[in-house]
Amino acid sequence: MKRELLAIGIVVLILFGLPVGAFIYQRQQTSSDSTKRVIIIQATVPEAGGFQPSAIKVNAGETVTLRFSSMDVTHGIAIGPGLGIDLGHVDPGHVKEVTVTFDKAGTYTFYCNTWCSPDHWRMRGIVEVTDPDNPDAIPIAYHDPIIERLVAEGVNIDANVTMGMADHPQPDVLTFDQPPSIEKGNILAATLSIPEELSDAEWRLTHTPMEGLELLADKNPSNSMNDLIHVIAYLWVSDTRFEAIQWAENYFNQNCAACHGQTGDGNGPAANQTAESPVAFGDAAYMFGMRSDVLYAKIRRGGMGTDMPNFGTLLTPEETLKLVSYLWQLAFLAPNSGIE
Amino acid sequence: MIKSQRINVFQHVPFLRGILKSRLFQPVLTLTTLFFFTLAIVTGLFGTPVGNRNFGIVFVWIVWWGLLIILLVPFLGRLWCAACPIPVPGEWLQRRGIINRRQGRLSTLRWKFPKRLRNMWLQNFGFLGIAIFSAIILTRPEVSAWLLLGFSLIGIVLSILYENRVFCRYVCPVGGFIGLYSLMAPIEVRVADPQVCATHTPKDCIIGNEYAYGCPWMVFPGTLERNTYCGMCMECIKACPKNNVVINLRPVGSDLMVAKERRLDEAYKAFIMLACALLYSAVLLGPWGWLKQWANMDTLPHWLIYAGVFLLANLLLLPGLFTLTALLSRRWGGVQVPLRQLVTDYAYTLVPLGLTAWIAFSFSLVFTNGSYAFGVLSDPFGWGWNLFGTTESAWTPFGSSLIPFLQTGILTAGMLFAVNTAYKIAGQHTPNPRQALRGMLPVAGFITSITFVFLWLYLG
Repeated sequence: MKRELLAIGIVVLILFGLPVGAFIYQRQQTSSDSTKRVIIIQATVPEAGGFQPSAIKVNAGETVTLRFSSMDVTHGIAIGPGLGIDLGHVDPGHVKEVTVTFDKAGTYTFYCNTWCSPDHWRMRGIVEVTDPDNPDAIPIAYHDPIIERLVAEGVNIDANVTMGMADHPQPDVLTFDQPPSIEKGNILAATLSIPEELSDAEWRLTHTPMEGLELLADKNPSNSMNDLIHVIAYLWVSDTRFEAIQWAENYFNQNCAACHGQTGDGNGPAANQTAESPVAFGDAAYMFGMRSDVLYAKIRRGGMGTDMPNFGTLLTPEETLKLVSYLWQLAFLAPNSGIE
Repeated sequence: MIKSQRINVFQHVPFLRGILKSRLFQPVLTLTTLFFFTLAIVTGLFGTPVGNRNFGIVFVWIVWWGLLIILLVPFLGRLWCAACPIPVPGEWLQRRGIINRRQGRLSTLRWKFPKRLRNMWLQNFGFLGIAIFSAIILTRPEVSAWLLLGFSLIGIVLSILYENRVFCRYVCPVGGFIGLYSLMAPIEVRVADPQVCATHTPKDCIIGNEYAYGCPWMVFPGTLERNTYCGMCMECIKACPKNNVVINLRPVGSDLMVAKERRLDEAYKAFIMLACALLYSAVLLGPWGWLKQWANMDTLPHWLIYAGVFLLANLLLLPGLFTLTALLSRRWGGVQVPLRQLVTDYAYTLVPLGLTAWIAFSFSLVFTNGSYAFGVLSDPFGWGWNLFGTTESAWTPFGSSLIPFLQTGILTAGMLFAVNTAYKIAGQHTPNPRQALRGMLPVAGFITSITFVFLWLYLG
């Protein structure tokens, strides 16, 4: 009789103790340390629901562990803006976590940075960080001086080529007998008279290379247009830091290349799935009519009706400018700009 | 002559009888497997939906399947059925106990299981019904868990309605092919001397006694000649007051030559298992991604076409081709055996071929995917646990270069065994060896052709 009871006990233990024990263990795993909350976030492709949960509330100053697990395909997990958190790939069924303290109230975004599905760019969730002393406070709206200036100037950020600057028609020179060469431009720059505006990073931010080219041509009428183009290409990337480019290249490849192509040819593997053809940053002629601040605004706001997602909730302004710098690199170094 | 080829294991390992006579023998097995079974269901229902990170998928369809088809069935016949956790809750309810022999009749409604269903047809159609969904069942933990739970619930319901293991004997889709392929096993539960049973009227092994229940599988060991319906639960060893029931070692495939018990339902099981092995190899191991997607129900029309072709191949195409082969065999051999009997008899040549084909298929499945077991052992739910420090162990295919050789070897062995069996079966139809040889040639051709299709699928 004793062994029969023992057997019944074992059966009960298996049928009920095992699942209950598993759930208790899991609960302990996620809340073993009362000072450190563990939040489990399951990642599925956006078509199947994206992140679950997709919104998390955290108190400022609270340390939480965000534990991401992929439920279907390989995802990449990053959190921004300004946190520098990139967990890399999370393969199906695998789990990756990050322990983070959100110091300031505000909104952060966790997002997938690996092309996981046609709706990949929708795969985002938010961490809402509230001030525990003032939980009902509405975060102050972030002002972006670059975008505000563009709006005040009347620039149509959503326009495509030349950003609505009809008073700057593209001259024949943009056929580029020779592709723009940063190297040649570097050498030639020392021999030319460079207008003051072109040495000013702020001016270059708000003007197109085409406008720069006109100024440069006025100052150096004896030089060929090809030489001047080389110099403009050099000037537009001249004060870009190597580390910034490294970071931006990595970010571009993770988040932008699927549509815009790794070389900026506008022909990434997902290019044919977007509402409008992705812009080819490697097209130097296009980029000669483009402004850095407009690129910046497009990245941060996204492209209305184009399937270009907004990155303003993922990147800091500084990170966005790094990405813009990289787009100029693509324009003047990419294979389809003709430079080998 | 055949009997003389048996080795009574109890004579060489006397303590084994004591172990098998113990009422703890089967509960120890079933309680152990019940643990893993329960874990497989719970992880399937609540764990990650990613198959290769979920215990329910990895341990059931890779580890258990590999153990079953590569080791247990070929070497130990139906021993798995003694350890299987699926029917035990129902059996415990019937017996109102787990270990001890409770006196009195089994607690059931004592309905009579329909005579028309006392065969393998339910198991055949049940297996096919599951097989057409296999690409989904094998990869989706939740579906897999519901299937296992469903089996167990059906087992319980049948145990309430009928006495003994009706589920195992007539319904379990897995039990059907284990029974068929256990004909090949080099081990058997048999009586040492049938005369002892013939003269022993109480028949404790059927009705039970204070030490054991009557055979839950509803077979009489005294006349048992094949493994097919012996669940190796060892109740008869416990029950026999004469110690006349023994475990024998024997030549591989001995049961294939027992002519009088061959049946069309079993023959169809052989057809279905062979056709499924072929189709699974094509779907799961073949290079045709679209086929995998169709089987995976990427769209309903695709899956319907796939399921239709799958069922046609199993129920008509392969049996049809084999019937034509049998017709040719009858014409060449010049024997006067009814076609139905000829088809049924020769179908048993597909038992060694089918078993080795499944082993070859499973080599690829298990060796390639077995390493997933280390990860799910530490993190069975895919929740990020690391119980044994192996969660992040990388997927590492084992013996990739060895697999083709193993597959070729086992398939060749199966083919030769099948051809030899065909010759022996042909010999049962005619005493003339030349007639037998001519009669077996079309069957040998069929067997060889199928083997080459498998080799083509595996080796490319």
